Amino acid sequence: MELRQPNAEELRQWREEFDAAARRPLEVRMRYAFVKTHKPVLDDANYRVFDTMEEYRQWCERELPSWLGYHRV
Amino acid sequence: MFEYRQAEELRDAFHNRGVRYLLLGKSAAFVLGFPDTTQGVNVFPEKSPSNGQALVQALKDLGFELSDKVAAEIERGKDFIQLKSGPFDIDLIFAPDGIDSFEIAWKRHLEIQGVPVCHIDDVISSKKAANRAKDWESLPRLIAFRNYWVEHHRTEGDDCESPTEHD
Repeated sequence: MELRQPNAEELRQWREEFDAAARRPLEVRMRYAFVKTHKPVLDDANYRVFDTMEEYRQWCERELPSWLGYHRV
Repeated sequence: MFEYRQAEELRDAFHNRGVRYLLLGKSAAFVLGFPDTTQGVNVFPEKSPSNGQALVQALKDLGFELSDKVAAEIERGKDFIQLKSGPFDIDLIFAPDGIDSFEIAWKRHLEIQGVPVCHIDDVISSKKAANRAKDWESLPRLIAFRNYWVEHHRTEGDDCESPTEHD
């Protein structure tokens, strides 16, 4: 699978967003960067530990709804 | 939700306990100036018994409730540990996909306001290697940001903090 290539208009808009972000101090950037929404299953335990990344990836694919985006492509 | 004040507290707690770590993922990209959203913090700690012990102490300083079992798992440096028992969500990723070792990432890390951050190329490499749907969705914009960041970093420096590369 290949990465999607953005078109010229997308690139132009993104660069405007990057310019705007670059004008803001880190404190302001962070205010808009972190959001909290409940993710089913993923957020339902205080902690999880996986011996390997592969084990974690397999758990995500087995337990999480695909729309969360944690399944491998 | 992770706030700027908590980022400072994390930085200070990790510094005070001597934790060797790097911010990774979108958390790192944000600090470099990437405008986007995420929910938690991704930390890539060096895997060693002493660093694991320091990390446990720093997390407790920050207010994370860690059972003896979880503390032991952190000290052992299990590949992936997800914590939601503190003031914010944090993922400890001792062996991120797409990055060969902590030392390699450390050699080209950046430091922004005292926070050690993975180089944007390592952020991209790890997302490519993770190969999840959400990564594929965000990668084109992240790569565009990488190109923008390199361009500005090379020429004029940006209006954010000036990253310093380390040998």
